[in-house]
Amino acid sequence: MSHKELAGKILDLVGGKNNVNSVFHCITRLRFKLKDESKANTEELKNLDGVVTVMKSGGQYQVVIGNHVPDVYKEVTALGNFTEKQDSNNEEKEDKGNLFSRFIDLIAGIFTPILGVLVAAGMIKGFTALFVALGWLNNTGGTYQILNATGDALFYFLPVLLGYTAMKKFGGSPLLGVVIGSALLYPDLTALQAGDPLYTLFAGTLFESPVFIEFLGIPVILMTYSSSVIPIILAAFFAAKVEIKLNTIIPSVVKAFLVPTFTLLAAVPLTFIVIGPVATWAAGLIGAGSVWVYGLSPILAGILIGTFWQVFVIFGLHWGLVPVAINNIATLGADPILVAMFTASFAQAAAVLGIWLRTKNQKLKTLSPPAFISAIFGVTEPAIYGITLPKKKPFIFSCIAAGVGGGITGFFGTQAYLIGGLGVFGFPSYINPEEDMNAAFWAIIGAVIVAFILAFVLTYFFGGVNKVETPLEKNDKAVSPVNRVVTVDSPLTGQVIPLSDVSDKVFASEAMGKGIAILPTEGRVHAPAGGIVTTLFKTRHAIGITTDDGVDILIHVGMDTVQLEGEHFTAHVTQGERVNAGDLLVEFDIDAIGKAGYDIVTPVIITNHGSFAELEVTTENEVRTGELLMNIEASDEADTETVDNTLRDVSV
Amino acid sequence: MKEKTFNITNDTGIHARPATQLVNKAGQFSSDITLEYNGKSVNLKSIMGVMSLGVGKGAEVTIKADGSDEDEAMNAIEEVVKEGLGE
Repeated sequence: MSHKELAGKILDLVGGKNNVNSVFHCITRLRFKLKDESKANTEELKNLDGVVTVMKSGGQYQVVIGNHVPDVYKEVTALGNFTEKQDSNNEEKEDKGNLFSRFIDLIAGIFTPILGVLVAAGMIKGFTALFVALGWLNNTGGTYQILNATGDALFYFLPVLLGYTAMKKFGGSPLLGVVIGSALLYPDLTALQAGDPLYTLFAGTLFESPVFIEFLGIPVILMTYSSSVIPIILAAFFAAKVEIKLNTIIPSVVKAFLVPTFTLLAAVPLTFIVIGPVATWAAGLIGAGSVWVYGLSPILAGILIGTFWQVFVIFGLHWGLVPVAINNIATLGADPILVAMFTASFAQAAAVLGIWLRTKNQKLKTLSPPAFISAIFGVTEPAIYGITLPKKKPFIFSCIAAGVGGGITGFFGTQAYLIGGLGVFGFPSYINPEEDMNAAFWAIIGAVIVAFILAFVLTYFFGGVNKVETPLEKNDKAVSPVNRVVTVDSPLTGQVIPLSDVSDKVFASEAMGKGIAILPTEGRVHAPAGGIVTTLFKTRHAIGITTDDGVDILIHVGMDTVQLEGEHFTAHVTQGERVNAGDLLVEFDIDAIGKAGYDIVTPVIITNHGSFAELEVTTENEVRTGELLMNIEASDEADTETVDNTLRDVSV
Repeated sequence: MKEKTFNITNDTGIHARPATQLVNKAGQFSSDITLEYNGKSVNLKSIMGVMSLGVGKGAEVTIKADGSDEDEAMNAIEEVVKEGLGE
């Protein structure tokens, strides 16, 4: 019976696709949530060829298939038109509703590690601009140049830093992310954009794209990657997937250099080829769209640009509007369109102020003042990524307030007469050199005040400041709600043995935890998952990894091998080090240990399995390093607490 | 809160098996129980936590129990340690 036929029969026997609320799979089982379990024909399903058995537990109707369950699952989702998902803890409806908030959580999580330095850079940049405005610094002098580089470096090279944190977040090697981010900013490539294009695609249309370079004959549309956020996150997401996949198929002997080689070769060109045009065209659409709406109604254009400005900035699409403004100033002497974004940074600052005064969290209280000051000076990144965006509502409120501000400038016809500074330093740009302080200029001051007060009041009273917890406020290593199924790869190649067959009763009785044992044929222990090496006993025979999801995995090489006192073992990592799945941890000499009279059977134990709802082990008899060994499902929030405690303790 | 200092006498220190003995005993009580060694403190109910200390033979460790059953917990743990941690 083919997978497709089997899938069809299973769907019929669980009561048809209309009886299925959701379905996902783990290592061996299809896990259905059925509307009515009584409609399922359990007996017939159990006797179906290709089905091992049927189990019901925790509101799930589980059909045990075996290791090829992913293939059957694909057919089931295709036949039933179900969406594919791995997550067990959320109902499908909640999933969709949470997509936006998951996306924000993801971005916030990627920014959390760099927030401290982001705020510092924002302050340096802001004060440097202040000193220039006050005339204390000459903006052509060396002091300014160096201070400006100090403050701006992080913002310019943001993709490099985010490459590190995003890659780590997606389970890849952080340094590969750094290389990808650096490639996007490579000087030779950015310099190309200043020259003449090879040719122009779609000339004369909205999607007019100058092509400066080709990759194997494919036109590459370059964009400004400096300070961008989304491109590197997408690139890291893809690269991590590639790296993880390659780790399972490339032989371990050559893994160390072949995996990064192919990951980079896949990720960097693809990012340039795919993201450049998409972002360039989207930005072009936004630029042209804004001009079109402005033609209909300057007020409406002001409201739209003001509201969505910060969203455009996050996606790097604001570059579509900047050329419009430059062109307007060059040809007409003033620009009435980009001005609508001016109140946005003040609205951000006001939202931060609201949170600052309202929050009870110490970390947030410490971070708010510098983020506020930076935003007043026009550097909004710390405010957005550290504070308002993770809090969600304050970000939305500040967008609304900026929309109102944009509406006001649109109504009064405020124009920019030069492309000037940001934040408070921007005001002079709006003074008409011929009329001085006219009504349109007072209008922008009024717009800033209105947007500021509106964003502050909304955030202070309705921002849910103490309800939504940002990653910053949580324990840094809190369990991510996105990834609730943790996979443990095999650290060894060898024969799989049930834990109960291990000679030592401490392991066999599961006193140490649940898991499985491997009789290794190669003397190399690789990391079964990414995480921190929390335990490396000085005798090097036992190594423990705590994954980012809080799973404690202990690999105990051989029985009673503690007595070898480290002989025949070589450690390649140290306690406290971060490792990625597949990294070599410990080498051991199988023959020598055997000759010394020790049993080499190696239990792989989840020592804190009590914190997790379910643990499943492979049904294969043989495993190779990097193949799936166990699946662990996190249960509910209460258990997450336990995990956090364990982590905090071991990381002291 | 109860606090007691112990000398670890078994040859191999607190490796996997002795850690299991201690953790399983500690897990029977509701009190918060910690193990301190070399300036670090870990939850005595976590095998990985206990093993991460790498306590060797002859080491001096401090166990603290805090909670409603701290007396019983401390007595039971003391017994496990004195029995040579199951070795």
